[in-house]
Amino acid sequence: MLLREQLNGVLDALQTVLLGKEEPLRLALTCLLARGHLLIEDLPGMGKTTLAHALAHVTGLSDTRVQFTSDMLPADILGVSIFEPSDSRFRFHPGPVFTQLLLADEINRTTPKTQSALLEAMEEGQVSVDGERHALPTPFFVIATQNPSSQYGTFPLPESQLDRFLMRITLGYPAASVERELLKSGGTRHRIEDLPRCLTPEELVSAQQACEQVHASDSLIDYVQRLLQFTRDHAEFSYGMSPRGGLALLRCARCWAWLSGRDHVVPEDVQAVLAAVVTHRVRAADDVASREGDRLTARLLEEVDVLG
Amino acid sequence: MKGQQISRSAVMWQLLACVLVSLPHLSWLPAWIPVLLMLTLGARVMMHLGRWSLPSRTLKLVLVVAATLGLIFSFGQQAGPETMVALLVVSMALKLIEIYRRRDALVLIYVAFFVLGTAFLFSSSVWTALYALAALVVVLAALLSIHQRDGVSALQTLRRVLLLAAPALPLMVLLFLVFPRLEPLWSVTLDSGGATTGLSDTLSPGDVSQLAQSDELAFRVTFDAEPPVPAERYWRVLVLDRFDGRQWSRSPQRERLRQEKLEPLGGEVRYEVVLEPSQRPWLVALDQPLAVPDWAAVKPGRTLEAREPVERRVRYTLVSHRRYRLQPMLTQQERAHYLQLPERGNGEARALARQWLAQAGGDSAAFIALMLNYYNQSFTYTLSPGRLLGDRIDRFLMESQQGYCEHFASASAFMLRSVGIPARVVTGYQGGEWNPHQSYLQVRQYDAHAWVEAWQEGRGWVRIDPTAAVAPERIESSADVFLRSVDSGQVASRALQTGWLLGLRQRYDAFNFAWQRWVLNYEGEQEHLLRDWLGGLDYWRVAAFLLLPGGLVLVGLSMRQWMARTLRRGDPVEAALIGFQQRAGACFSRRQPQQSLSAWIHSDLVPHWPEAADELMQLAELDNARRYRYGAQDDQDQAILALTRRLAKQLPRRTRVV
Repeated sequence: MLLREQLNGVLDALQTVLLGKEEPLRLALTCLLARGHLLIEDLPGMGKTTLAHALAHVTGLSDTRVQFTSDMLPADILGVSIFEPSDSRFRFHPGPVFTQLLLADEINRTTPKTQSALLEAMEEGQVSVDGERHALPTPFFVIATQNPSSQYGTFPLPESQLDRFLMRITLGYPAASVERELLKSGGTRHRIEDLPRCLTPEELVSAQQACEQVHASDSLIDYVQRLLQFTRDHAEFSYGMSPRGGLALLRCARCWAWLSGRDHVVPEDVQAVLAAVVTHRVRAADDVASREGDRLTARLLEEVDVLG
Repeated sequence: MKGQQISRSAVMWQLLACVLVSLPHLSWLPAWIPVLLMLTLGARVMMHLGRWSLPSRTLKLVLVVAATLGLIFSFGQQAGPETMVALLVVSMALKLIEIYRRRDALVLIYVAFFVLGTAFLFSSSVWTALYALAALVVVLAALLSIHQRDGVSALQTLRRVLLLAAPALPLMVLLFLVFPRLEPLWSVTLDSGGATTGLSDTLSPGDVSQLAQSDELAFRVTFDAEPPVPAERYWRVLVLDRFDGRQWSRSPQRERLRQEKLEPLGGEVRYEVVLEPSQRPWLVALDQPLAVPDWAAVKPGRTLEAREPVERRVRYTLVSHRRYRLQPMLTQQERAHYLQLPERGNGEARALARQWLAQAGGDSAAFIALMLNYYNQSFTYTLSPGRLLGDRIDRFLMESQQGYCEHFASASAFMLRSVGIPARVVTGYQGGEWNPHQSYLQVRQYDAHAWVEAWQEGRGWVRIDPTAAVAPERIESSADVFLRSVDSGQVASRALQTGWLLGLRQRYDAFNFAWQRWVLNYEGEQEHLLRDWLGGLDYWRVAAFLLLPGGLVLVGLSMRQWMARTLRRGDPVEAALIGFQQRAGACFSRRQPQQSLSAWIHSDLVPHWPEAADELMQLAELDNARRYRYGAQDDQDQAILALTRRLAKQLPRRTRVV
């Protein structure tokens, strides 16, 4: 109970810096609880960086920010082994990836080579440099941001790489009233330092473990399976969702249910996380640019019967 | 293909089944058939272990030709059931070596079933039945095992077989009770050990005493009322009316005699005889029967004879009168017939008879009394009278003076005839052992007896038993007891029958009798039973009775199938919820697919139906808990059912709110 209140405290604190963005913030927190990585897709200046900083601050995670550019090399992220003349051997100098919360800004600006180096580290929780393995700290949470890929000079992430992100969310423009408030207060950056530290990393880990205990009944599993099956049976989906996508959906629904104060998952939990989990994993058959995920997700939501 | 192959345990069951079903036939099969079976069993094991490969087409052909020749050689032209059974066993043995797929195994097992059934052609004892039952379980296990995986233990297989066979039991009983016993199919029995002992239609000295060595069962009798006392238990079988100086026999002219006239005088006894197969047509009857079964006839001399030799156990009911007058008048021809004697021989006996007749003053009754008195003085009744040479009756009367019943009967009839009193020898059984456990009389071959009937003016044929004069204890107790008392050495086989062993044997025999009477010879009972049950034996009644149970079973099965199909849609709670959802949906707004039931209730029903808000929320809560939290629980299910029922009743009658 206490843990859950603390997490809700995190949510409240975040809302003070990102006004009127309860849902994306809750999703981001869900993603963190589900030990997944988050992809925020939005135009510059929408508060992506603020979200990452604030999240790191209130959860007490160490954070590093990496601004991705097109001339970046894998070693710039992972780290490098350097020969030390003093003791005549190579020593590994860890890169910025060795942190608990990594903000990878504009990940689609860099080359696929560098992208995949990061994604590999995300997937495996460790880094291999010169045949030596270096474990990443736990918890390890990546928030990557990217601008919509229609912008010039980007390398859009392929499906297989998108799949590594548990969720993809957008923040979107603030509501008019909220924006007025924002304009009046004159930005938020300085206020992040004032946020309370609501959680220790250890508490975060136990919260993550608590989420895994949330009960998912047979009826609910059936519903999730019907959702997956729907993406495979209907022609407007270019390809169906993978079992990994299904597992991700269920994991997120568990965390959402836990955050909502339940010890069991209900279909509404699944529906709440559905768009964030599914949209970047499906593509319409006639959609080369992968712009239509929202429409497909909406169909999925509307047409799959909760009760079977 | 792989799925059709047979598991290791299935092969073992098959081999065991083959051995068990063949065992009952071992005693009469030509030796080469069991040998062939053992060889193919061995070959099967070797093939199964992978040491040998499956036989080639040529080898199989050679085996088939050899086995066919063997059958022809062994059985020749004989086309009896034995040949057929031998053919079945041989084909089963040959099939063993080419089992590869499930289909082959099925053929083998079906043949095994059939071979098992043929065991009853040769023996129908209760032991055979028990054995067949045990073997049946094994064959069923073999059948079952080819449908199950390897690794099911033998015990488990047996348990499954019993479980599967149990429902067939009532059907079996029903079929036993009502299935018509179709002739001749039903009556094929080959008790091939049938070198039966029994009375023959001739009587020479030593014949009956030989029978006394045999404790084989002759017949059993149950009485409607009290059984007659032992001294009155004279079971007539044959009348011997011709003497050739050595032996008594039935004369060919006897068929020309007229039927004898019987005047019953009382002492009525009603009884039922179960006669063991004797391979002879004649039947036993208590002295003297009135009516006869319609498949038998009364012969001159008032003996009963069936139209066919008795080859299987028969059962018939008779009424006898113990006091009667038989044939009060004799024609000249009849008198001559019953006075027939050889011209010469046994002069001393004739002389003795003449002397007695003179002494009796020509009165036949007095003559008989003298004769019996003579026996009573110095004669010995024994099973081992020694050999008599020459004029046997003279030697018996004058010298050895010891004999068994046939000696006395033969001598008495001879002497009666020699002085002009019509006489005849009657053979049959006397006495019997009373079995208290099933209340029946059991007569064995050692109860065989011979006595004399003499014709007296006005009284007709009168039974005279010289044995009663010599050894009255033979007549008054059973032959068994008597023989044990006089000749213990002769009857060693029965020496054990004392005390509790006797009781045990009687119980066993009673059990056997019940088995034969109620199980094997059930036909007669069947008719009574059906008549009682159905109140008649009209065709429509029997047909309805036979068709009804099967029809009921079929209806039951189809009902179950139908129920299963409708129930598959979901449990009753789900059905109630769906029903409620449809009715409430028609009233308010339908549930959208993405809405869970509780979400729909909260968003669409509660706002528009505030009167039922509490119950609706309760239903939503219950459904949520059932579906997503705790799973189905009985009390919760009941609550849901009650709520949906109540809510459905309260549904407002108004059109859909937009």
